[in-house]
Amino acid sequence: MENSLGKSSSFIRSGEKAEHEAIHHQKIHHHRIGHKHGEGSAIDFYAYASKIRCWNPTFKVVFSFLTLLLCIGLNNPFVSMAVIIGMAFLTVVKGGLPLSAYLSVLMIPLTFILMGTIAIGVDFSSQPAGQFNLFLGFGYVFTSVGKLQEMAFLMLKVFGAISAMIMMTLSTPSAEIIGVLRKAHVPKLIIELMNLIYRYIFILLDVFNNMRNSADSRQGYGDFKTSCYTFGSVASNMLVVSMKKANAYYTAMEARGYEGELVFLEDEKKHQVSHLIIAVAFMLFLMLLGIMTH
Amino acid sequence: MNTSLNTREKRFIAVAAAIALVFGFTPVASAMHIMEGYLPVGFSVAWGVICIPFLIAGYMSIKKTLKENPKTITLLAMAGAYVFVLSSLKIPSVTGSCSHMTGTGLGAILFGPTAVSILGVIVLLFQAILLAHGGLTTLGANTFSMAIAGPFVTFGIFILCKKIKINKHVGVFLAAAIGDLFTYCVTAFQLAMAYPSESGGVAASMVKFLAVFAPTQIPLAIIEGILTVVIIIGLETYAQPELNDLGYLAGGVK
Amino acid sequence: MSEPILKISDLHYSYGTGNPALKGVSVDIYQGEKIAVIGSNGSGKSTFFLNANGVLKADHGEISYQGTIINKKNLKELRKNIGIVFQDADNQIIASTVMAEVGFGPMNLKLPREEVLRRVEEALTTMNILDFKDRPPHYLSGGEKKRVTIADIIAMKSEVIIFDEPTAALDPLNAQMLEEVLVKLGEEGKTMLISTHDVDFAYRWAERAIVFDQGKIIADGTPLEIFKNARILAQANLKRPAMLDVYEMLVDNKMIKENNNYPTTPEDLKVLLEKQFH
Repeated sequence: MENSLGKSSSFIRSGEKAEHEAIHHQKIHHHRIGHKHGEGSAIDFYAYASKIRCWNPTFKVVFSFLTLLLCIGLNNPFVSMAVIIGMAFLTVVKGGLPLSAYLSVLMIPLTFILMGTIAIGVDFSSQPAGQFNLFLGFGYVFTSVGKLQEMAFLMLKVFGAISAMIMMTLSTPSAEIIGVLRKAHVPKLIIELMNLIYRYIFILLDVFNNMRNSADSRQGYGDFKTSCYTFGSVASNMLVVSMKKANAYYTAMEARGYEGELVFLEDEKKHQVSHLIIAVAFMLFLMLLGIMTH
Repeated sequence: MNTSLNTREKRFIAVAAAIALVFGFTPVASAMHIMEGYLPVGFSVAWGVICIPFLIAGYMSIKKTLKENPKTITLLAMAGAYVFVLSSLKIPSVTGSCSHMTGTGLGAILFGPTAVSILGVIVLLFQAILLAHGGLTTLGANTFSMAIAGPFVTFGIFILCKKIKINKHVGVFLAAAIGDLFTYCVTAFQLAMAYPSESGGVAASMVKFLAVFAPTQIPLAIIEGILTVVIIIGLETYAQPELNDLGYLAGGVK
Repeated sequence: MSEPILKISDLHYSYGTGNPALKGVSVDIYQGEKIAVIGSNGSGKSTFFLNANGVLKADHGEISYQGTIINKKNLKELRKNIGIVFQDADNQIIASTVMAEVGFGPMNLKLPREEVLRRVEEALTTMNILDFKDRPPHYLSGGEKKRVTIADIIAMKSEVIIFDEPTAALDPLNAQMLEEVLVKLGEEGKTMLISTHDVDFAYRWAERAIVFDQGKIIADGTPLEIFKNARILAQANLKRPAMLDVYEMLVDNKMIKENNNYPTTPEDLKVLLEKQFH
């Protein structure tokens, strides 16, 4: 539990580590499949390593989003199952992501899912109701078979939706996703900000890692109070550094002829007709499945 | 127990106890993003629509700032990246659990709530893409609770405390902590709307959601308040020029 | 001599309300020159570079590129032809893939897409990083990032390339790579200005050295002239290059004959010694 969730902060990490991980990964991959090497690696890193990265990003984004909508819109456990299987197939088999890594990403929202679903499935009452109830002094907590079933279906739907979303994020680097948004006519300013923010995130993470390590080496995380103080100092220092860097960046951009419009060269990846056909067939199948098992 | 337990009831209690135990030890408190798949399509769209006026206002304000001073583009982007990184960091905790700041409260105090609404959407989108926190169809709802409602309340309280001359740091603490609590209430409300209780409707459902998330969110709000104060103190001591720079972004409020 | 490619006269610049950073800098730079710009931190080197590229606008003074005086209208010409490789690669790289990064300059020049692609390919090939094309900068090492930042400028086909302390933070292997690149660019006839604290590097690489101190150029000449001038070295807090010391020691101790053929590298010295004894 702690394990699968505690990792979320390390899901983004500096380049060096990821690089190291990549080498490590290649070395041991063939020998110890069950090893936990995938754990904690960045979604971002997986996206760059994915074997389906070369697929057209617009196709992946649109397909992922439509599947996601179908999964939620049809609200049908069979459809959810089909989505879970289909997306896992794409990401793990086609994309070449180790299964353990895939599961660890899929489990990130687990806490929310458990807590949220329990809140939905369980009800309070002053009288015993439903098939199962628990007396808590002031009243009853109860639930029913119907409710439990609803909870299970909801969880299936949520996992389906998440797997549709991470099919995209685990195979399409953010820069390409931003490119798709640009093509979808998201305002230019937003696109520019997104491009810059994406780049800066990794710069600030490096800054943070250096500061944290240096604070750690001076016992800055000894107890709770010191930790708070250290965290605050590191965070405010990071803000100062980021503001300074922002100015340096602007200078460097101007030096290369930036004149208020941020345009990046994008790689154009061809659509593959076979992918389109399979995607349409899959979505039709989902719809049929939804209607037939209604 | 009022009646003798049958096996099914026993099993239910065992499961409930196990879950309580697990959460008792590992409260994970970044859980206020509504996850992908939780909201029916209608609600996703509705919350998205509600965000639009705020986002347009934010967009206009950013556009205006940029027109006056084009250099702010990198500053704004850094601010966005900063909020993202801050919200992805594990914060200190007493129980050894893993929790995260929202960072948008600090953002609102430093950069102003309108700019934060736009930066907030982008940050939330990156959280979904890079961290699998939140989602695409729930982006509208999350934007409303985390990038609009919370920051606006934070900013409002911050200004109010300034007006009635409460100690500035107390004001910052209250602003950040209450902003966080408000975000949590809005999220609970959003979930309750989508999943009303059979016996008590939306209100009862909201109580349930509030109760389930309270053990993680209330301590988190307090820690967020403390950390925001520590960060602000740090900035005041050795970053006065940068703070002035930011005052520009906030439209001279700071 | 022909007309200078870049002519800077009486440049003054101050940051905001602070002290003046440049106090009347004048220098003529000719096509194909290899210039080392030396001086302590805060002596005005970086400010000078940013002025030369047009990012900073001088309070007073004039810059002309190939005989044309630079004003607001033709500023773009200056930015296009004078490229800066910044000291910290992480402050320069702004795009999320190497390809987009190297293409950023050419895109700003509003070149057609095919031309941008061609230039990117060419620059990456020159820097030997064509394989990194689709990689994001955050998964590159320090030396690889440096190569990308140099490719950035190569792709703009700038005539004058300025390197701001390029050897800082490079490991020996990457520093050597850098010197090889400098040779390559020199062969293409590029004019280069490099600011550096590495006097040994300046001594062996540069044909001309400019010394900055407190916002002024205090010396301009061949590296040999400058490093032999004790007064300038003292004023600018500079060390003498090791090879120069070694050579003069050998001469003083009559181990080799003085012939004004100063060796700048151990290899040169070896040749000299072999000539002496065989």
